[in-house]
Amino acid sequence: MTHHPSAAEAPRTGPVIERPPLAPLIDVRDLAKHFTMRRRPPVRAVDGVTFRVAPGELVGYLGPNGAGKSTTLKMLTGLLVPTSGHITVAGRIPWRERRAHVATIGAVFGQRTSLWWDLPVIESFDLLRYIYRIPAERYRANLDTFRDLLDLDAFLQTPVRSLSLGQRMRADFAAAMLHDPTVLFLDEPTIGLDVVAKERVRRFVRHLNAERGTTVLLTTHDLADVERLCHRVLIIDGGRLLYDGNLAELQRRFGGRRELVIDLAEDVTDIGGDGSANRLDDPRFAVPGADVIARDGPRITYAFDRDATTAADLIARVTQRLRVVDLALKEPDIETTVRRIYEERLLDGA
Amino acid sequence: MRQGRAWRRGIASCVGRGEAIAEAIASPLRRAHHPVADLRHHLGLLVRLVGAQVRSQLQYRVSFTMDFVSSFLMFGFEFGALAALFVRFETLGGWTLGEVAFMGGLTAVSFKTMDMLFSGFDPPAFGEHVRKGTFDAILLRPAPLTLQVLGSRFVLMRVGAIAEGVAVFALALWLVDVHWTAAKLAFLPLVVIGQLAFFAALFVIGSTVTFWTVDSIEAMNILTYGGHELNQYPAHIYPLGLRRFFTYVVPTLFLAYYPTLYLLDKPDPTGMPSWVRFVGPVIGLGAFAGAMAIWHIGIRHYRSTGT
Ligand SMILES: Nc1ncnc2c1ncn2[C@@H]1O[C@H](COP(=O)(O)OP(=O)(O)OP(=O)(O)O)[C@@H](O)[C@H]1O
Ligand SMILES: [Mg+2]
Repeated sequence: MTHHPSAAEAPRTGPVIERPPLAPLIDVRDLAKHFTMRRRPPVRAVDGVTFRVAPGELVGYLGPNGAGKSTTLKMLTGLLVPTSGHITVAGRIPWRERRAHVATIGAVFGQRTSLWWDLPVIESFDLLRYIYRIPAERYRANLDTFRDLLDLDAFLQTPVRSLSLGQRMRADFAAAMLHDPTVLFLDEPTIGLDVVAKERVRRFVRHLNAERGTTVLLTTHDLADVERLCHRVLIIDGGRLLYDGNLAELQRRFGGRRELVIDLAEDVTDIGGDGSANRLDDPRFAVPGADVIARDGPRITYAFDRDATTAADLIARVTQRLRVVDLALKEPDIETTVRRIYEERLLDGA
Repeated sequence: MRQGRAWRRGIASCVGRGEAIAEAIASPLRRAHHPVADLRHHLGLLVRLVGAQVRSQLQYRVSFTMDFVSSFLMFGFEFGALAALFVRFETLGGWTLGEVAFMGGLTAVSFKTMDMLFSGFDPPAFGEHVRKGTFDAILLRPAPLTLQVLGSRFVLMRVGAIAEGVAVFALALWLVDVHWTAAKLAFLPLVVIGQLAFFAALFVIGSTVTFWTVDSIEAMNILTYGGHELNQYPAHIYPLGLRRFFTYVVPTLFLAYYPTLYLLDKPDPTGMPSWVRFVGPVIGLGAFAGAMAIWHIGIRHYRSTGT
């Protein structure tokens, strides 16, 4: 393994003492990928991204559609050559040393399979055993473990083309892990799966990370994946890295306000003189310490800060002023937080 | 804070597993330093890939047998039609039925064998790989790309067509009294290899083009299958323009027609120098080498643009 002078540099985030003097397993610096197309301006799919991942970390790579997640993963797995910048994974440059690199990583691109379409699953596995030169006892042990964890037995003899999406994904997961890779790259690994299958896949990833120390970088649009699996998230948009830190911190900084939804005894829909319906600043519904953020017939939604007002106080104030028949309290969830970050571009310029 | 824990867990797991990780990282590299062992491993992979496909195709034994029988029936009809022509006209541009069958059989065996061995490079099939993004799976495996593409598809059904070509050739040997010499016997397999290599080159180039566009597959098919069809009949019966195209632009006539003139001691009505009868194998292998170079340019392009 080559030595990285960068490993000695001061880390970008987090307290200094927490960082071990250990070469990062994944080292990405100023990475860029620009796609040029005829008669169109170049697309800056990835535009100067820098991050490091230590061995054993499980990191979520988030961002809205077209943010550049898949493009980053394709460069990390050696499929695409960067326009500029620097990548090493376990000390290797993925695109330059393709064969040595892919021998030590696993990758699952949720949208497509890496198995042989016409062959039964078990034959694909057997070919992979040969290609990766997996020792017989490792192969047997891994296959046994994965059959159990991913419940593969029912379709091991089925050709890949006849598998359901969930079955195919499980088979792809096992295929990606048969050779004991040190890093696993997952691009939307739970896309299109039902709740049970998603949970099974998450359990599998957690098992690999906890039991084998496999380093995992995963992209997803399902924030439940991130909540269940990742301590650390990277958020990218427009090809630029906007956030690198832990999920709880993200929630604390950008987590929306709590919401109180009330239903009034009568419909209060009204049209103002200027034609605007259900004005939010209608003085009839104003309550100190909270803002009306939505009105829909008899339903009014207030937002308030945890630090400024307690839910009990607010409910007392509201019920004092208005005839409330029903109410519900909504805690901000990570889904909403991230949606707000994407939509309102909260991290821009951060 | 949690992040700190993750880092510490990282170190802990690394200390325990350090050796295993170092081994995993080093071993593929170390193995790569044994070229002979590597070559054996790769050829073994090709055999396994093809073997797996053959096994899976043989599961549909009924349809396989049907196909084999039907391609033999097709042979019967085509050859019958050709023979009927000869009953009416006796010769085709001065060639007897047996002589035409000789070249036709040779061409069919070469082309259909290529069609089977290079199924993975059949441009429409390969283009589908690229379009669907499954070519990425090939890039993600630690084995040579060309070999993986070769092993990605193997259309066993083609043995019917190959057998058809062999039958035509056998019939020709029975009909024609070839004056065999040692040189001719040595040249015959080279003619097959040259032709096979040339059409394989067209397949590879056609596949490579799909990295840029899939629209051109039809144009490429016209050259490949058109060239193959024209190689079944004595070229001097074709109009001059067509002949020139398939001599100087896509030089397929050097692959079957001119070598056959030599093998059957036929005169050359096209008035080319006599050495052109022997250049077929060189042109075929040269074209293949060129195609492999283009193929590698295509891969480089793909890895810089994606799909
Ligand atoms: N091969 C390509 N050629 C041209 N443009 C591309 C190519 N691949 C991706 N892009 C563009 O680069 C940008 C980033 O794409 P990318 O697939 O990385 O996004 P993503 O974050 O994975 O999005 P999603 O969540 O929708 O999967 C997009 O604008 C996309 O159109
Ligand atoms: Mg994507």
